[in-house]
Amino acid sequence: MATVRIPTPLRTLTGGEDQVQALGDTVKDVIENLEKNHPGIRERLLDDKGVRRFVNIYVGDEDIRFLDGLATPLKATDEISIVPAIAGG
Amino acid sequence: MSTSSPERDALQSKSALVVGVGGLGCPAALALAEAGVGRIVLCDDDLVDGTNLHRQILFTEQDIGSHKLDAAERALYRAGARPGSIELVRSRFLPENARDLARGVDVVLEGADNFATKFLCADACFLEHRAVVHGAAVRLCATVLSVAPDGAPCYRCLFEDLPTGATAPNCAEAGVLGPVVGLAGALMADRALSALLGDRTRFGSLVSYDGKTDRARELALTARARCALCSNERSIDEITFHRYTAPSCAA
Repeated sequence: MATVRIPTPLRTLTGGEDQVQALGDTVKDVIENLEKNHPGIRERLLDDKGVRRFVNIYVGDEDIRFLDGLATPLKATDEISIVPAIAGG
Repeated sequence: MSTSSPERDALQSKSALVVGVGGLGCPAALALAEAGVGRIVLCDDDLVDGTNLHRQILFTEQDIGSHKLDAAERALYRAGARPGSIELVRSRFLPENARDLARGVDVVLEGADNFATKFLCADACFLEHRAVVHGAAVRLCATVLSVAPDGAPCYRCLFEDLPTGATAPNCAEAGVLGPVVGLAGALMADRALSALLGDRTRFGSLVSYDGKTDRARELALTARARCALCSNERSIDEITFHRYTAPSCAA
């Protein structure tokens, strides 16, 4: 079960939790599992082309764009980070 | 970084542009001034608002209703900015002035509250071959990205283009916590000072800070092979107004 770190802008979908656990053998599987438990999160991360252009997803310290994208395989100990574009200050 | 005498002397001949004198720009400008940067250009067109005083640390209740730049200039000189070092640009950072403003300094600190200005700043700085430090803070989250004059990676390597549509991050729902944005502004200044002193090791590094867990994380970014701005396949070679039309967010 992977650990997913949830950025502040998406915590409204996870009841305020800053990290959640999700099942899946790949990043795509994990996002689908997240969607079951936190409806609406998939749309915030993906569009019909894949990962939205203002969102970046990391497995450990590696951007999945430079791995296998959504098909990136996961180990149970992996930590997934979501880095969305933010503007404010 | 420390500002020992040789570093302070070196900074006297350096210049920085601060885009947006808000929650990020205030602490960033203060740190630049205290470090001894010889020329600090402040760019903003707004007035001091009492509801923002908790995070715009250069302003006091006496400044409410004043132009931000006038109040910031007074505060920076009081804090020890070099005499004559503060320049004021009473305007937003816009397509029509972006390249001129970027070209006129050694480094740009971008603390804008909207995505259009962020992408405009990224583009103008790359086209003018200037280092830029992007900062952002929403609620308990802050990010700082330092970009080399030749990009690779740049802001567009990370986020490609302006968010659009219903799923774009909704800034209007977000507040900003003073200490978190202050930390981000200080970090922006640290990255800018490093760039001014010739340290390239911070370029391409994205720092994310989570105020809820009090954890900071630094990621070394990789340049996007087909980045529209800084790759060999780039398509952006000028500033055109239509590229930066997106809703703004008053944070």
